[in-house]
Amino acid sequence: MSAAGEEEENAADLKIGDEFLKAKCLMNCEVSLILERKYDQLQQIVFEKSLQYVKRFSRYKNPDAVRQVRELLSGYQLAEFELCVLGNLCPETVEEAIAMVPSIKSRGRVHDDEAIEKMLNDMSLIKKFE
Amino acid sequence: MYLKVKLNWNVVIPARNLDLNGLMLQKAILVRLLDTFAAKKATKDLGYLVAITTLDKIGEGKVREHSGDVLFPVEFTCLSFKVFRGEVIEGVVHKILKHGIFMRCGPIEYLYLSNKKMSDYQYHSLENPCFLNEQTGSRIVKDASVRCIVIGVKYMEAQKEFQAVVGLEGDYLVYKVVGILL
Repeated sequence: MSAAGEEEENAADLKIGDEFLKAKCLMNCEVSLILERKYDQLQQIVFEKSLQYVKRFSRYKNPDAVRQVRELLSGYQLAEFELCVLGNLCPETVEEAIAMVPSIKSRGRVHDDEAIEKMLNDMSLIKKFE
Repeated sequence: MYLKVKLNWNVVIPARNLDLNGLMLQKAILVRLLDTFAAKKATKDLGYLVAITTLDKIGEGKVREHSGDVLFPVEFTCLSFKVFRGEVIEGVVHKILKHGIFMRCGPIEYLYLSNKKMSDYQYHSLENPCFLNEQTGSRIVKDASVRCIVIGVKYMEAQKEFQAVVGLEGDYLVYKVVGILL
């Protein structure tokens, strides 16, 4: 990647390079489920640190809840990257959600405040009942 | 951000291991792939290589002329971890110095938050060093989770490590630290 290319990278505007826009992103809670299962396969340092981190920063623990959140967010025309930031940080208000993922308001998609609010409410419901 | 990536690599099986057949050969290829994967550790484009989730396809082996080793093209899916400029992430504080804070985030050991990038916070070194926001009472101490925004990312080829500079200037950052008063 050239220096100019790096200059342009900005996740806030969803400028993160084509290969990553297309790559499947995973939420911390999803990674946690996968790594727990693979626990005896690899015991290297990168793996260890990742497992520790995603265990601490998984907002959803129950596998069903994790699946439900993914399903819920998939219904909102979000880029993979945006979906995972929301699922990881679980913002509580519309304003906070936009501060975490400024791009959800741009790119000409229909995300009015009401739709975002409903999404956040549904996310916290899943959390409450997991 | 963790990414799920499909990769195509070549795995070399030494000639002496080739008396194995069928399942045993597959196992040898998988073991070899896991070793290579762990040794690779990270790449500039994909970030840290965390774990292989599935081995999707083993192609036809090609014999290498001089050594007699066999090279198998393999297709597999793995998890990688990379942070992007402008991404909001959460880190865990592990070192507090006068001029700033070091945090961990997944496999990244050094996220640096300079005191210049958190102007609301002042350094205090009472019994435990911390950064304190005197207006809100919010305190950043060791082991606290801090929500911050990535300002820049650097990859060090020789060590195969990433480092990032992060900041707190933005709405709803630090946020989760408020209330952690140890």
